[in-house]
Amino acid sequence: MITGKKRPLFEAFALVIAATVCAVVANNLAARTRKLAWKAEYPNAMIVRELVPLATATPSPIILPDISAAESPTPTPTAAPLAITATPTHVLTVGSTPETTPSPTPAPVPQKEFLPHPDVPWVEIGYADVRSLYDRNSLFIDARRSDAYTDGHIAGARSLPVWEADIDERVKAIYSEGLDQEKPIVIYCSGGHCEDSHMLAQKLWGLSFNNVLVYKDGFPDWKQRRAPVGTGTKP
Amino acid sequence: MKWLRHPWLTIRVQIALGAIFVAAAIPKILDPPNFAHMIYNYRLVPGELLNPLALILPWIELLCGLALIVNLWKRTAAMIVGVLLVVFIVAVGINFARDNAIDCGCFTQNPVSKSYDQLMNEMKWVIWRDVGMLLLVAQLLYATADRHELRRRWDDRRRYD
Repeated sequence: MITGKKRPLFEAFALVIAATVCAVVANNLAARTRKLAWKAEYPNAMIVRELVPLATATPSPIILPDISAAESPTPTPTAAPLAITATPTHVLTVGSTPETTPSPTPAPVPQKEFLPHPDVPWVEIGYADVRSLYDRNSLFIDARRSDAYTDGHIAGARSLPVWEADIDERVKAIYSEGLDQEKPIVIYCSGGHCEDSHMLAQKLWGLSFNNVLVYKDGFPDWKQRRAPVGTGTKP
Repeated sequence: MKWLRHPWLTIRVQIALGAIFVAAAIPKILDPPNFAHMIYNYRLVPGELLNPLALILPWIELLCGLALIVNLWKRTAAMIVGVLLVVFIVAVGINFARDNAIDCGCFTQNPVSKSYDQLMNEMKWVIWRDVGMLLLVAQLLYATADRHELRRRWDDRRRYD
């Protein structure tokens, strides 16, 4: 019988061992999206990012492009875009009026090149570049949790939830597809201070994917701009 | 200070502390990846320890909470709870000092998107809340101390000084 000074130590040890056993059993029985790998790498786990105050919850005014302007990159003489908020009650469609004269055929604008950057794991890009890559059918990857992906994701994006247990297997599966590692890949998460996309970019860079781009404002920005969104478990 | 040792107060403090820790543990047990993400945001835990901590710590909280509720090994459970509270206070305090606005992840695993100011205010509130719980732990340990044993050790020390 353990008594005296050693008793609290024995009890504490027993509680910790019991907790560890429970953790092992629970993790083995957990659903795929709730499992956590016992061993994982987080290279930036002790580094605090440079302080950038988070945006307030109210969306800031954004400029939506004219639909006709999307087909002809140069703006029409009369269809100037209006600054609006992203709330549905303030949506305005911008387009040419019946009185406007037809615009001249615009000269083709050369597409922006996204060159490989083997020396850095990622480059952050904004909506304009992301949309350009989306229109060119580039590979899009969602680094958020599976539940968030199912609720809504960039249409056509694949899910690689960086915090779920099978992330390394999924990354290796991407590698096994034999994709061109110099072609741009866009990764996104929740924007703001979310670093899930950066963590995933680092993993892909480790497998020699040299052209990984991080959509810095993430899915909230994409959704706010009413860009194509998909739901469910499939891209 | 006899009222601090009153059984009426002690049993209620014991059950309240136990219930708080059980309530805090359950969401973390149900979603370990999210809790691991919360711990990561503190930027205090080395990468290799992050996942094991996210898996085991909630179970320690749960078992200690249950031990307090069912009155089993209550002093040991209270001491572990006290140590955990000190660790949480220090962790939140360090991040508050270095302006790293984080969501504590103490009771909820699906936080709503918040602004920097909101998070910093919440961190202050979390520190005070945890200090309050630490006082409850102190009361429990004081009330359940074996006074005869303490008196005997005190007398022995005085005799040999």
